[in-house]
Amino acid sequence: MRITNNMLIGNMMRYMGNNLERMEKYQKQMATGKKISVPSDDPVVAARALKLRTDVSNVVQYQRNVDDAESWMDITEAAISNLNDILQRARELGVQAENSTNNSEDLQKISAEIKELRKQIVQIANSTYAGRYVFSGYSTDKKLMNDDGTFAIDALNSEKINYEISLGDDIDINVPGGELFDMGNSAVKGNKCRLIQVMDDFITALDNGDNGAVSNIVKDIDDCVDNLLRVRADIGARMNRLEFTRNRLESDYINFTELMSTNEDVDMAETIMNLKNEENVYRASLAGGARIIQTSLVDFLK
Amino acid sequence: MGSGFFGLDIAIRGLYSAQRQLDVVNNNINNINTPGYSRQVAVQVATTPLALNDGTGMMGTGSEVIAVNRVRDEYLDYKYWSEQCTYGENKIKSELLADIEATFNEPSNSGFTQMLNEFYNALQELSKDPSSEATRTLVKQKGITVAKYFNNTATHFEKLQADINYRINTVVTEINSLANQITKLNRQIYTIELNGTIANELRDQRTVLVDKLSSLVDITANEVTVGTLPNGQEDKHFVITIGGKTLVNHFDYTKLVLNQRNDKLNPEDIANLYEVSWEDGNELIINSGELKGYLDVRDGNLGQNGSPNYAGIPYYISKLNEFARTFAMAFNEGFIDADRNGLIEDDKGENVLGHADGYKLNSTGGETEPAGIRFFTYIGDDGAAVDSLTFIGGATSKADIMEKYKKITAANLAVGMDVINDINNICTSGQAGKIENTDIISSLIDLRDNSHMFAEGKPEDFMKSLVAFLGIDSQQAKRMAESQDNIIKLIENSRLSISGVSIDEEMVNMIKSHQVYAASAKMITTMDEVYEILINKVGKW
Repeated sequence: MRITNNMLIGNMMRYMGNNLERMEKYQKQMATGKKISVPSDDPVVAARALKLRTDVSNVVQYQRNVDDAESWMDITEAAISNLNDILQRARELGVQAENSTNNSEDLQKISAEIKELRKQIVQIANSTYAGRYVFSGYSTDKKLMNDDGTFAIDALNSEKINYEISLGDDIDINVPGGELFDMGNSAVKGNKCRLIQVMDDFITALDNGDNGAVSNIVKDIDDCVDNLLRVRADIGARMNRLEFTRNRLESDYINFTELMSTNEDVDMAETIMNLKNEENVYRASLAGGARIIQTSLVDFLK
Repeated sequence: MGSGFFGLDIAIRGLYSAQRQLDVVNNNINNINTPGYSRQVAVQVATTPLALNDGTGMMGTGSEVIAVNRVRDEYLDYKYWSEQCTYGENKIKSELLADIEATFNEPSNSGFTQMLNEFYNALQELSKDPSSEATRTLVKQKGITVAKYFNNTATHFEKLQADINYRINTVVTEINSLANQITKLNRQIYTIELNGTIANELRDQRTVLVDKLSSLVDITANEVTVGTLPNGQEDKHFVITIGGKTLVNHFDYTKLVLNQRNDKLNPEDIANLYEVSWEDGNELIINSGELKGYLDVRDGNLGQNGSPNYAGIPYYISKLNEFARTFAMAFNEGFIDADRNGLIEDDKGENVLGHADGYKLNSTGGETEPAGIRFFTYIGDDGAAVDSLTFIGGATSKADIMEKYKKITAANLAVGMDVINDINNICTSGQAGKIENTDIISSLIDLRDNSHMFAEGKPEDFMKSLVAFLGIDSQQAKRMAESQDNIIKLIENSRLSISGVSIDEEMVNMIKSHQVYAASAKMITTMDEVYEILINKVGKW
């Protein structure tokens, strides 16, 4: 086939152009660390990348949710623990007061302490977490209990606050006030809660010096403690569940980020090698081309 | 025995022939880098010999150059023209689609997916702390970011359409100009070739112009014989047609004209786009070429409304509009038309809790009706977002409310004025007076995973499939352009192989002619001496 000088030059330009194009591709990969920069580089990889980004973002958000749920439940757990201590102390005092060897002065002292414990119970009922009342069900801007032990609001036991900790997986993080303070009945505005009622009965019995009534009070306190343990066990179980979920989310995070990376990141070593390769080819084509396009018959005619 | 000075005659003819050959070589070398130049060869023949009547046969009389022809394979030209148009079309499409890809900006940290993730994360934070002012402000801001993304993308597409419109103007002007120039060349070539010569340079120029034209539209160019001239030659006319209709015919050409459309072809178009047609009113039918590339991307809506069967800008705008509408309706009202029959049926679970079913943060607890706040509305005529009242305008039935959402487009989607003015209007609670109730916000968060919202699935699946679609189209255009480029380079090489000037060849020809010239000159000197002897010396003492 007849070849002219212009053809040689044209071909050399074209091959150099192709070469530069390939070099540019590898250079871009090396600079960004990603296989693709626009969807048309590889549409399948691009679509998968979008999905995996969303998955990773979801997992991170769920982890945050788990942390926040745990904080709330910690407050609740601490309050219940406190309440347990109070009831145990009250029971102790009750057993002590049962004993008919006490004189009225001793009973007065016990009564004073019970009054303090009673105030503490009301305080616990109005515990807050970041400015929100934790036992008030959905009305977290209003406190649960008045100073006289009556409920200040309606807070049904069905008012459960749910946090999403995984896809389609909710956990209720709160304990509605009625569960804890009113033996499992829903809190109704104006009603006096059972716990305070027991304390009030105790105080009345002590003030009247009625030993017999006091032993009944001790039984009532036992019932209250049972209820409290029930609620405590429930919280404990939920916190366990959070722990499991947290572990699972951590391993999910690692899995998804790994998938994301495998999908769209380049292997640096491979890319550097490719770039070096193309550079060599470029040099060779430049050197070869330069030799060819410069000589012609004119150089050899005298 | 011929005439006395017969020898000189022959030698002089030799000189002339050699000179003519050198001239041709000279011309070729001069034009090595002229675009479209085909090398010329001198056709040298032996002149008519004399018959010697003494029985010794014929006596040669020398040579002469009877013509200078260009070396060209017309078939390669046809091949080139037919492949150029596909190349032109795909090159333009790959350029324009790359621009659209850059607009969507996926996958990246600032694309739609990222933005939607952040919006939903903000909603999650709000669900954990509905009364927090900081979180409410965050949700409002992220909502505005979502709306602005759609506004910006839609505006960019409109600009792109206007751009392409302008470029179509340029292309059509160029086509008309090329047709005009070709007609002028036709006239010149015809006039010169009437007396039997071939107008080499002019034909080369004409081929260059047709090359340019072939990348703009799919043309068919031919030289047709229309009769015989009085001197026996064939009467050839150069004709170029597009889609069966003549663009150039000998000395005449028909222009293409642009008319602004009074009615939009697609509802998503900007106003007054150009319609390309023939000057005499006929419809222009093109199948390939840069012009088709521009028209497809500017008007293409997969064949709907009579538009080209290509996914162009109107298609992407209509998809964005669909997303904005459907998402806003699902978010605001909780309406999801899962079976896509145009009705919201409660029994099929198509009516879930939406933002309008919620109560404000500062609700007292005595309300009987939900607050009816719409989170997403549209930008009104005064440039500000409208509030829920203006948006709904008193509609109460599901069908009427659904109608209102047809006003929302990607370009005018906005966060409602109620929410912008007062973040307490973001309704998270499904019960009046209960601020920690998260029924509404949970339902809004669940929307993200509702795979019945779109035919393609969840909201992010919709965008994913749109981006993948675009990626595939763009990749295809790039690949086609690349492979066509290779084909054209091959044809170009073949053309150069046949018609290109080779310096080495010309040098050799130059040496050859030089030698002949020197020899002929020597011949003249010799003949001169012979005549000198004949004239001056023979018969002298």
